Amino acid sequence: MRGGIWDFLQIKQTGGVTGKTGPGRSIAMAGYTGKILRVNLTEGAITTISTSDYEHWGGGHGMGSALFFDLVDDKTIGGFDPRNVVTIMTSPLSGTLTPGCSARTEVQGIGVQAYPYEWFTRSNFGGRFSSMLKYAGWDGIVVEGAAAAPVWIDIRDGDVEIRSCDPLSLWGKDTWECQRTIWDYVSGGKVYEDWIDSGSLNGARTTQRPAVLAIGPAGEHLSRMACLIHDAANGSGQGGFGAVWGSKKLKAISVIGTGSITIDDPNGLLEARIEQMKNGYDLDNPRDAVSPNLFQSAPGGGVTWESFPQFTAPGGKRPQACVGCHSGCRRRYESGLGNEASCSETTFYLAAETPETLYKATDLLNKYGINILEAYFAIQYIKTLTESGIIGPGREIDCPLNFDEFGSLDFIEQYLKMVAYRNDGLGNESAFGNDIAEGTLRAAEKWGRLNEDLTSGALAYPYWGYPLHYDPRLQLEWGYGSIFGDRDINEHCFNRLYAYGDPAYYGDSNQLTTEEVVKIITDKMVPFQDDQLMLDYSTENMYSEHMARLVAWHRYYTRFWKESILFCDNRWPDFINPNAPDMIGSTGAAEPRFLNAVTGKNFTFLDGIKLGRKIWNLDHAIWTLQGRHRDMVHFPDYIYRLPKGNKNKRYIGRENGEWKYIGIIERCVDRQKFEEFKTLFYELEGWDPLTGYPTRSSLENLGLGYVANALDAHNKLGKG
Amino acid sequence: MAGTLEKKERTDSAFSRRDFIKHSGMAVIGMYVLGCDMQSKKEALGFLLLDMKKCQGCISCMLACSLAHEGVENPSLSRIQVLQNPYGKWPNDITVAQCRQCVEPACAAACPVDALKPDADYDNILTVDIQKCTGCKNCIQACPYPPSRAIWNHEGGHSQKCDLCANTLHWNEKGGVDGKKACVEVCPVKAIVFTTVLPSQEGNEGYNVNLRGDAWGNLGFPTD
Repeated sequence: MRGGIWDFLQIKQTGGVTGKTGPGRSIAMAGYTGKILRVNLTEGAITTISTSDYEHWGGGHGMGSALFFDLVDDKTIGGFDPRNVVTIMTSPLSGTLTPGCSARTEVQGIGVQAYPYEWFTRSNFGGRFSSMLKYAGWDGIVVEGAAAAPVWIDIRDGDVEIRSCDPLSLWGKDTWECQRTIWDYVSGGKVYEDWIDSGSLNGARTTQRPAVLAIGPAGEHLSRMACLIHDAANGSGQGGFGAVWGSKKLKAISVIGTGSITIDDPNGLLEARIEQMKNGYDLDNPRDAVSPNLFQSAPGGGVTWESFPQFTAPGGKRPQACVGCHSGCRRRYESGLGNEASCSETTFYLAAETPETLYKATDLLNKYGINILEAYFAIQYIKTLTESGIIGPGREIDCPLNFDEFGSLDFIEQYLKMVAYRNDGLGNESAFGNDIAEGTLRAAEKWGRLNEDLTSGALAYPYWGYPLHYDPRLQLEWGYGSIFGDRDINEHCFNRLYAYGDPAYYGDSNQLTTEEVVKIITDKMVPFQDDQLMLDYSTENMYSEHMARLVAWHRYYTRFWKESILFCDNRWPDFINPNAPDMIGSTGAAEPRFLNAVTGKNFTFLDGIKLGRKIWNLDHAIWTLQGRHRDMVHFPDYIYRLPKGNKNKRYIGRENGEWKYIGIIERCVDRQKFEEFKTLFYELEGWDPLTGYPTRSSLENLGLGYVANALDAHNKLGKG
Repeated sequence: MAGTLEKKERTDSAFSRRDFIKHSGMAVIGMYVLGCDMQSKKEALGFLLLDMKKCQGCISCMLACSLAHEGVENPSLSRIQVLQNPYGKWPNDITVAQCRQCVEPACAAACPVDALKPDADYDNILTVDIQKCTGCKNCIQACPYPPSRAIWNHEGGHSQKCDLCANTLHWNEKGGVDGKKACVEVCPVKAIVFTTVLPSQEGNEGYNVNLRGDAWGNLGFPTD
């Protein structure tokens, strides 16, 4: 399988911008501001990096990985090491009218959440930070070193200051209070109800609040559940970046910008936006989109508590959107509680006695700066062990939580304070609080329960110490993509296929056959478009070369279009859309149309897939330099041993040669067959199947010869 | 392409009097009479109305405005401004500030060089002639509705205000009273409409209207 197919994908070695990261195809572009902010907290130094040196990576994740590779000499350091570099990157489409794309910010660096290996990892978040950063004239931020005392970074257009937290008493504040304090400081005490002068000589003004990304008490206390929070509830959740910032004594980054983003073809961008809106939710002809997470989904639909009658928020509310989004997935409320919360954080505390308690619990997550998914799984695990008589006051594992109060606000606040402050949640020292702030698996290890509970499945953590999201025994591309990567991928491109099989999805239109669904989607999956068997989730196909191609394509699409150009995972891809002619969604055409309108280049969808493969391979090289070997790449024992099924017909597959929506009869991942599948995937990528190391030829074919040299210097280059 | 000055024929999507009456109720009748009176004046009859309870805060209107007029993305250059507080309580978490196209515009009266006046080339819409504008900012300071609806273009060194897209150098659509307005076209939740009926000039009631219909209610949002 190696060789031939990738000849088609070889990246040309000529014509690109030559930067430190080596040659590559350039998409030197309008849409960028031209400079990346570099802040060394150890030295208190503020410098710039020319974006042109990294433009050929496209943006976001690609740039972040390339910067990390260049700036971190020793990739084996831990996440708390001051030499760890955190990149916070935008895309050329950030701050533009591109729907469901303008607002994401990509965060990368060595994380501290994963267990047992602290992989180089990623997370991203929405809101208005990336757009404001662009208006201020910056394409991204690189944070190096660690400050001696708590600081925050104050960006006002081109003026950047590293400021002590002391005058504003920021250290110790929750994320919301921190942001409010910075808003007041930057405005000079003026109320955000009028124009506010930026202070520049040209009289630039804004009505907007600064966009602030902050850590809460969890980050300050190095809780591995700590995340970064922006505005009310935009969270860079996975990876533990809140703790990484805490270790750097970095409380917040604030940015206010009044500058312009150059657009190559303004009329083309406006036309593209208006035309693309035809694929969106139509208030005049509403159509039930089944899933709240499609391009055409209704505004405000990402709030899960609204689907529970007992938790529906009373009073007035509105949908609330990130910058430029055509269909905001969150809401703001008359009560002011639960503002901007969405997805899993809105079901964090369904045991809540009242709606108000549920909303306040979610707000506390955001104020303390805590990763919802890990916090949720941790409390469920503690509850299970409590009910088993293992955990509790005076028991084998002494825990200050009283589960008789489970459902109350006091209970959840105490728990979240334990996570955030490493104490008993009431201000007193607590070994248990200190343990749980390390994350569930590290706590279980401390308690001597890890092997038993990970083997039994009591700890449902299928990938690298991340809690269950979608199960590898069922959602195959999710499982394989996660274990071949660094984290639970959280990329929903294919786990929404179920929506296209629901008659309600099509409204008055004709129902598509499953075969038509498969064809429409695979036609878009260049260069594998001829392989329809990629979408066969049946047990017979789960270890096949077709499945390997699905996993690979998903890695490439997301690495470039979703994580580098930053199309939102909640709204893209647009595979099948009843609002579109013949129900053929816009993915494949729309993404490059917007990119080219902004940048003026002639970049194709396939160019993005190719560049996505290059970025994915750079990431894999970084993990290899961190110490990854093929032998490490496996699921926990329970995935191989305990069957899992889902009778709901959410998956596409073949039965007797016929395409159908199928349920999954209970199945495990077969250990031996997975190992064979791993070999298949490694060969597809051009990696050494014995070690999983990249080979020189595979890297050079991608224009990554300098990466091969680095691997060679560390004896990490694969054979072949 | 960028910078094309040619305007295309429009497809009229203006908010009709019937729509306005449907959404705003009988109170509009009095205003309608006022509107008829306005026909004899040389100022254009055209107003942007919006629903601050419906706006989703995406600022797409701001991005479209600066893109169509200046060819760049820059909220500070937008002639419509969305102010919001992430921690605020609905409906007071969002304020949208559009130019009211005042009948007796304080901005125009304050201009010492007659740069801000109805422009015959653009449907008699009150427009800033940037060749004449001296950058004194008197118009900005004179606007009685904070944040000032006349805005400062710090990159061009002149003031500017909403022209109902009559002069969009970077958008090929025909704008103005009879044409399309970029903010209206891109608003995903249809929280901005255009009318030729003069809104009440008292307070903000006439400009902040209810555009939420049954479909909005079916999504779980209030319609009253």
